[in-house]
Amino acid sequence: MMAVQIGLLCGLVVFSLLAVLVRDILKAAISLAVASLLLGILFFRLDAPYAGAFEISVVAGLITVLFVVTIALTKAEGGVRESRLAAWIFPLFFVVFLVIDFLVMRRLIGQIASLPAPAEAGTFGQVLWKGRTFDLIAQVGVIFAGVFAVLALFRKRSKHE
Amino acid sequence: MSNVWLLYMGFAAVLLFTGLYCLLTMRNLVKLFIGVEVIGKAVTLGIVATGSAKNSILTAQALAVTFIVVEVCVVATALAIIINVYRHTKSLDIRKLTQLKG
Repeated sequence: MMAVQIGLLCGLVVFSLLAVLVRDILKAAISLAVASLLLGILFFRLDAPYAGAFEISVVAGLITVLFVVTIALTKAEGGVRESRLAAWIFPLFFVVFLVIDFLVMRRLIGQIASLPAPAEAGTFGQVLWKGRTFDLIAQVGVIFAGVFAVLALFRKRSKHE
Repeated sequence: MSNVWLLYMGFAAVLLFTGLYCLLTMRNLVKLFIGVEVIGKAVTLGIVATGSAKNSILTAQALAVTFIVVEVCVVATALAIIINVYRHTKSLDIRKLTQLKG
């Protein structure tokens, strides 16, 4: 059971690294979509099916489409040359970070006190609609803000302007 | 907290590092936004893994869904800005934006 989850986590990191390091932006966007797909499957395995479904449908689907449309509208690379130094230095920094991460996590094992965590009652719908009602109101506000921002950015100029 | 939770947090930290590295070193605007997305994945993984470890998976899912909705709105707005920047400067190079005036 755990081996599958570790495999999914490793795949998630590998495809995220590919998304950052690959030069072709289209391939980077597709790598990001695969990473989202793996994260969604991981959520299903963590007994979080709603978060998994959202991750796969919205992040792996919708956001990838938005990225591909943007890449198509901006003609692939956009005439940008990435610094070669950054690509060469990355493995060094990554290995140093992994060592620090491993050492810190090893020290933390058994050190962090566990807070009391009573099991939740009810269904996801009850928690979302009754427990997190304010979040939903904020979500509606954010969606409207996003829609109006996109409309404002793609507004056609009138004849007077 | 269990060792499994720490394992998830370790992987989330690796994702966070990757995204931050992308933000600090890349010059392409779309690539920079891919870095932001990778950081978003680290945050979502952290929320759901912590919820799973603390027996609060329902609240964690509600928070993850809220985060994903906010993420989509941010992506849509940012990509619209990137397209507008490309129309103005004919490039996606972040360094060209330092030449903007007024």
